[in-house]
Amino acid sequence: MSKAASFSAAIETLPLGSAYQGLYSWVATVDHKRIGILYLLTTLVFFVMGGIEALLMRIQLARPNSTFLSPDAFGQLFTMHGTTMIFLVVMPTLIGLANYLVPLMIGARDMAFPRLNALSFWLLPCGGLLLHFSLLAGGAPAVGWFSYAPLSETAYATTSGVDYWTMSLLILGVGSVAASINLIATILTQRAPGLTIRRLPLFVWMIFINSFLVILALPALNAAIVMLFIDRHLSTHFFTPAHGGSAVLWQHFFWAFGHPEVYIMALPAFGIISEVVPVFARRPIFGYEFVAASTVAIALLSFGVWAHHMFAVGLGHPMDLFFAATSMMIAVPTGIKVFAWSATLWGGSIRLTTAMLFAVAFLVQFTIGGLSGITFAVVPIDWQVTGTYYLVAHFHYVLFGGTFFAVFAGLYYWFPKITGRMLSERLGKLNFWMALIGFNTAFFVQHFLGLMGMARRVYTYPDLPGWALLNMISTIGAFLLGASVLVLLWNIIASLRHGEPAGDNPWNAWTLEWATTSPPPAQNFDRVPPIRSRRPLWDLTHPENPDPIVGGIGACDGFELEKNRIGIVSFLITEGVFFLMLILAYLYYNNRAMNGPTPTGMLNPQRTGIYTLCLLASSFTIWLADRKLRAGKASTFRWLLALTIVLGFAFIFGQGREYLRIFHAGILVNSNLFATTFFTLTGFHGLHVLVGLIALVILMGLALAGDFKEGRIEAVKSIGLYWHFVDAVWLVVFLIIYLRLLL
Amino acid sequence: MTTRHFLISTWDWNPWVIAICFTSIVIYGTRHQFHFTRKAGWLLAGLAVFFLTLVSPVDALANGYLFSAHMLQHLLLLLVVPPLILLSLPSTPVSVRFQSGRWQWLNWIWRHPVATWILGVGGMWLWHAPALCNAAVTNEWIHRLQYASLLLMGFAFWWPITGPWYSQRLSPLAGMIYLFSACLGCTVLGIIITFAPVEVCSIYLHPVDRLGILPIIQDQWGLTPAKDQLLGGLLMWVPACLIYFCGILGLFAHWHGDSGNSAVVPQSTSTKASKEQSHVR
Repeated sequence: MSKAASFSAAIETLPLGSAYQGLYSWVATVDHKRIGILYLLTTLVFFVMGGIEALLMRIQLARPNSTFLSPDAFGQLFTMHGTTMIFLVVMPTLIGLANYLVPLMIGARDMAFPRLNALSFWLLPCGGLLLHFSLLAGGAPAVGWFSYAPLSETAYATTSGVDYWTMSLLILGVGSVAASINLIATILTQRAPGLTIRRLPLFVWMIFINSFLVILALPALNAAIVMLFIDRHLSTHFFTPAHGGSAVLWQHFFWAFGHPEVYIMALPAFGIISEVVPVFARRPIFGYEFVAASTVAIALLSFGVWAHHMFAVGLGHPMDLFFAATSMMIAVPTGIKVFAWSATLWGGSIRLTTAMLFAVAFLVQFTIGGLSGITFAVVPIDWQVTGTYYLVAHFHYVLFGGTFFAVFAGLYYWFPKITGRMLSERLGKLNFWMALIGFNTAFFVQHFLGLMGMARRVYTYPDLPGWALLNMISTIGAFLLGASVLVLLWNIIASLRHGEPAGDNPWNAWTLEWATTSPPPAQNFDRVPPIRSRRPLWDLTHPENPDPIVGGIGACDGFELEKNRIGIVSFLITEGVFFLMLILAYLYYNNRAMNGPTPTGMLNPQRTGIYTLCLLASSFTIWLADRKLRAGKASTFRWLLALTIVLGFAFIFGQGREYLRIFHAGILVNSNLFATTFFTLTGFHGLHVLVGLIALVILMGLALAGDFKEGRIEAVKSIGLYWHFVDAVWLVVFLIIYLRLLL
Repeated sequence: MTTRHFLISTWDWNPWVIAICFTSIVIYGTRHQFHFTRKAGWLLAGLAVFFLTLVSPVDALANGYLFSAHMLQHLLLLLVVPPLILLSLPSTPVSVRFQSGRWQWLNWIWRHPVATWILGVGGMWLWHAPALCNAAVTNEWIHRLQYASLLLMGFAFWWPITGPWYSQRLSPLAGMIYLFSACLGCTVLGIIITFAPVEVCSIYLHPVDRLGILPIIQDQWGLTPAKDQLLGGLLMWVPACLIYFCGILGLFAHWHGDSGNSAVVPQSTSTKASKEQSHVR
C-alpha cells in the first residue's frame, strides 16, 4: 500500500514536460513502452538488412551457373541472413512486443525491473553492431547460422568473422535472458488485483512459458559458444576431432539450444494469434485451457527432441527411434492449437481486417510448415531431404509464413494502441496480398527443388531440367515479398502522419491494454477496471451478460511472491544450466582415455578439500548473517558478513595456488582435453566466486554505511542465494573432478 | 528356443508379488464393498503394472541379461506404480496418528518436497552407481531391497503430487516445477548413461546364460551390450520425462478444472446472428 502510494507520488513529481521529450529521453528511458518501441524500430532496421541479404542470394540463384556472387560472398550472406533474422529480428521483435504489451495486458505500471529492461534492450544494438563490424574486419562469418565445428574452428574459418559471431551471440544471449527474467518476474508479481494466473490473456501466458524456455535454452548455446571461443583463442580442442575433440558434441550443444529456440520463436507468435483471432471472430477463444496446456506441453517436449536435427550424423538406430517418436509427439499439442483457433473461427462473425487476414494466412501457412516438419521426424525421409531446399522451404513456412505473419497481424492489431493512429486498411490489404502471394511463390516451389535434390548453402547449381524455372519463380516471389515490406514501411510512415485517430479501443477488444488511452500515458493506467474473467472489457461493456467468473469471486493465486526473489532464482536457474553444460562436457571428455596430464596425477583432493570446507562454511555464515539481520542484530550481521568474505577469499587463494602449481608443472589450458575442461569449469566457477565476493563487499559497504537497518534486506537474501548457488556448484565440481565421482 | 517360446516360458510366478497383489485387492475391496469406482481403476492399473514388471519376461531379462530391461523395471517401479496406487487411495484429512509420536519423522519427510524430491531423483542416481547396480544383480537380497526401496522412494516422491492428503499436496505451479526439475535430473542421468563409453553395470557385459536365451537376444534381436546400454540410457533420458510430463499436464488439468464453473461453455450456433455475441451460459 505504502509502496503504491510512494510510487504514484514519484510519478507526479516527474518533470514529464521536459524529461519525456527529445532524443536523450529515448536513450535514457526506462519506460517499458518506449523500450518496446525501441526494440521494434531496431529490429525493423535489421529486418530490412536481413531481407536485402536474402534478395542478394535470390538474385544469385535466379539463373544457373550465375557469377553474380562469389562462393565466399554467398557463404557470408546466408550466415548473416540466418543469424540476423533469428537473433536480431525474430527474438527481439517478440521480446519487444512482449515488453510493450505484457505490463499493459496485466494492468501494471511497468516491468518489474525497468533498468534491467533498458540494459536488455541496449545489448541488442551492441550485439548487432558487433556482428556487422565483422564486415569491416576481414569478412563476415561464412559457416552457417549453426556454425558447425570443425568448419568454425581456426583451421577452416580463418577470418575473424566467427569471433565476432561468438561475441555478438553471447551479448545477445545475455540480453534475451535478462529480458526473460524480467518478464517472468513481471508476470508473477506485477499483475493487477483480480488478474489471477488462470485469467491471464493467452499472449501473456505464452510469453510466460516462453521466458522459461529462454532462460533454460539460451545458456546451452552460451556454454557452447564459450567453448568455441576458447578453442579459437586459446588453441584448445573442444570441437576439433583431429586432436581428440568432438564435433558431434557441438551439434548436441547447439541443438539442445536450437530446438527449444524454434519454439521460442513460435510460442509468442501463437500468443499473438490467440489474441487476434478471437477479437476479429467476435468470440472468446475456443478451449482456453487446451491452448494454455498445449503451450506447456510444447515447451516441455521441445527439450526432448533436439536429436532429430542430427539424424544424418549417424547417432545409431536406438537414438533415431526415440527421437523420431518424440518429434512426432510434439505435433499433437501444436495440432490442438490449430484446432482451437479454427474452432474459434467456426461460427464467429469474422471481420476480415488486415490483422485478421494475416492471422488466417498464418493458420494455413503454419500448418503447411508443421506438416512438412513432421516429415522430418521420419528418419529415412530426413536422410533424403536434410540439407536441401525442402528444409529451407519448411522452416521458412514456419518462421516467415508462421511467425512473421503473426507479427504482422500483431502489428496491424496493436499499432493503434502504440501510436494512437490506425494503419491504413487499404495499404494494409495491398501489403497482405503482396506478402501472401510473394511468400508462397518464393517458398512453395522450394519444396520441389529440395525433393529434386538441390542442396542448400551452395552458391550456384547446374542447369538441370526444371531447376532454372523454379528458381526464377522463387526469386520473383522473393522480390514481391520484399516489395510488400516496402508497402508496410510506407503504411507506417504515412499513418504516423495522417492516420485516422484510433481512440482507446478501435477493435472492441477485451483485454486490459485497450482500457487505457492510445498511446497509453506514462503510468499506463489511472484506474484498472475490475477483473473477474478473461475478458474484463467485455464484462465492463456488457454488465447484463458478463463472462463466467474464472476461479470464483475474489479468487487469488494463493501465493505472494517477491520480485527480487523471482529475479535471482530465475537467474540462478539459467546459471545452473550453463554450469550443467560445462560439467557434461567435462564428463564427456574425461570418460575416455587420453594422453597428457590426468586428474589423478595433477590434483590433490586433500588440500583442495580444506578450501572446499572454507567455501561451504561461508555458505553457513551468510545464512546465519541473514537470520541475524532479520532478528535485528546488525552488528552480528556485519561480523558474519566479514567472515563470509574472508572465507570466500581463502577459497580463491586456494584456487590460485592450485592453478600456479599446475602452471609450474608445465600444464596449460591447451595441454590436453582434461586440462581444457578442468580450467574451463573451475575457471568459470572461480569467476562466479569473484563476482559473488564483489557483491558481498558492496553489501558490506552498504551495511557499514548504515543501510539494512530498516527494510531492504531482500538484497542480502538475494546475494545469499547466489552465494549458496556458487557453493553448491563447487560441491558438485569437487565431487566430480577431485573425488572422481561419475567417472 | 524361439522368441515365442521365450515369451511363454519365462514367467516368474513369484509368490510374494502374487500375494501382495491379492491382499491389496482384497483389503481395498472389503473397505469399499467391492464397488468399482475410478479410484479402484487406478489401483488395478497400478497393480497390473507392478505384476507385469516383476512376473513377466521383462524380469527374466532384467535378471542379468539386459540393462535396458532393468531400466524399464526401474522406471515402472519408481515412476508408474506409486502414483497410480496413491491415486487410488481415498482422499482423507491428515491422520492424527502421523502428527505426533513415533511416525512424526515420516510426516516430516512427506511435508518437505525438497526431501521427497531428493528421495525420488536421488534413488535413480544411487542405484546406477556401478557397484550397487552390479550387486543388485548378483545378490538376491540386495535385488529385493532395490525393488522395495524403488517403490518406497517412488511413493515418497509422488506423495506431494498425487498423495491422498490434499492439504499436503503442492500448489499446481509449484508441483509443475517439482516435476520439471525431476525430469531434468533424470534427463542428465540418462544422457550420462547414453554417452558413457564404459558399462554402467558391467555385469550385463558378459551375461551368464542361465536360460539359454542369449542367442535370441544377441542374434535375433540384435541387442549387443553396447546397444543395450544405449537403449537403457535413452529409456531414462526420453520416456522417463514423458511420465513427469503426464504428471504436469495432470496437475494443469486439475488446476483448471477445480473451479465451480466450467470455463469452456459450448457455443450456441445462433451466435452468428448477433455481431457482439459472447458465449451463452
